[in-house]
Amino acid sequence: MSGARGASVETEALERRFGDRVALAGVTLRVAPGEAFGLLGANGAGKTTFIRLVTGYLVPTRGSVRVDGVSPVDDPRAVHARIGFAAETSRLYPELSVRGFLRFAAGAHGLAGAAAQAAIERAVDRFSLGEVLRRPIGNLSKGFQQRVNLAQAFLHDPALLIVDEPTAGLDPLQQEEVRGVLRDAEGTRTVLLCTHDLDEARALTSRVGVLAGGRLVACGPTAEILAGDALALFRSDCGEAA
Amino acid sequence: MIPLRALIRKELGVLFGSPMAWLTLASIGLVTALLFFDNLRIYNQILFLYATTTMGGFESDTVPAYVNLRDQVFLPVMETLALTLVGLVPLVTMRVFAEERARGTDELLATTLLTPGQVVAGKLIATYAFVALALALSFVYPATSIVRSGLGLGHLVAVYAGLFALGIALASVGLACSAFATSQLVAAISAYAVAFVLYDFRWMAQFLPERAAAFVDPFSMHPRFGAFAEGLVRAGDVVYFAGYVVVAAALARLALDQTRVR
Repeated sequence: MSGARGASVETEALERRFGDRVALAGVTLRVAPGEAFGLLGANGAGKTTFIRLVTGYLVPTRGSVRVDGVSPVDDPRAVHARIGFAAETSRLYPELSVRGFLRFAAGAHGLAGAAAQAAIERAVDRFSLGEVLRRPIGNLSKGFQQRVNLAQAFLHDPALLIVDEPTAGLDPLQQEEVRGVLRDAEGTRTVLLCTHDLDEARALTSRVGVLAGGRLVACGPTAEILAGDALALFRSDCGEAA
Repeated sequence: MIPLRALIRKELGVLFGSPMAWLTLASIGLVTALLFFDNLRIYNQILFLYATTTMGGFESDTVPAYVNLRDQVFLPVMETLALTLVGLVPLVTMRVFAEERARGTDELLATTLLTPGQVVAGKLIATYAFVALALALSFVYPATSIVRSGLGLGHLVAVYAGLFALGIALASVGLACSAFATSQLVAAISAYAVAFVLYDFRWMAQFLPERAAAFVDPFSMHPRFGAFAEGLVRAGDVVYFAGYVVVAAALARLALDQTRVR
């Protein structure tokens, strides 16, 4: 597959409940191919639930989600072939070496032999992981762990890159490094960035959607949405979504 | 198959990256060695007694038939090794699914080309491979006595097939518990509880009516393993132990699916 164009993401009245609690209520959204889209919101606003619905990790209670027109519920493998997912840094295997982990990630995305080796070498170069290749992930700094995390997401050249809080817990230098990598990805693939860091959204996205209480309370060009009182959007009282 | 192979390699990498795997292997090696040499010491003492208290010595018919390497050393070691597996296997299986969920890496797996069925298969295969390795290590000491014990190769294969089947059944119990558990501790404790109950129902017999006791007895692991230890490989026993694999795979798959919809 090629990430040259990017994949579209479309949701229609997307809803997800956990028992009586509504985590996401009627979210309708379209992310165009090649677009860098930011999903903003306070903790618990529904960002992670949205991402989990797009990746197919969760099944919607109502509504639909499609990646390049394919539903992750109906054809998860087709969607996963298009997706590169980088969760928070702690979601790695600390016992594995960087090389071992990247080898696993390549294999899990269907790459083997020379293709896997070439993909790993590209990722190692791109994220400057050469010096830590043999070290266990658990012994790396948070900055390096995040590089490893992003490297595995880029390995199979995904059309859609989903990144959840990519700079959380990183120092300013490491944050800039990670942002540089994500900036490079712009235009070559769709980027769905999930964050509550407004500066990050300004730096990396062209359009944002703001979630509050599980509802999409604003959506539009980043400069326009974040020009006003963005924090007021975070605090939007949507009442009980139903 | 590429994603499945990658997952199996990853599982073994994570397993051997933790001290628990090495501790388990070392424990099995140590327990087998201690048991073997202790039983050998006792066996030698018995022989010495016969040799010194009868005129005929070793050549005499006064040494009972049951005083031989097979019955006095090899089989008791295998019997205790089976019980050792009950104690150690849940320590290995407790992390397999529960840790993945606790770390959030299950979400990473869910965004790869691995299907839920492959995730379950990969984890089961890697765990069973570990059980096989542990048993292979235990083979070193008994192997030294095989030549002199009069234990036929067929019998030896049957005993180890029984141990492997038992190990797989115990691992399956542990994996199923891990698939539903929210923490490794809960997974281990529940696996111990289930394994100890299923290992031998005979302890329950004293509390049950005779017919009920006779009904539950065939569900015990121990008598099934006992048949293998006697050198009998019966289709019913093989199916019994294979049943654990099927049930564990189905339960683990159910647990993964529940994560998506609950």
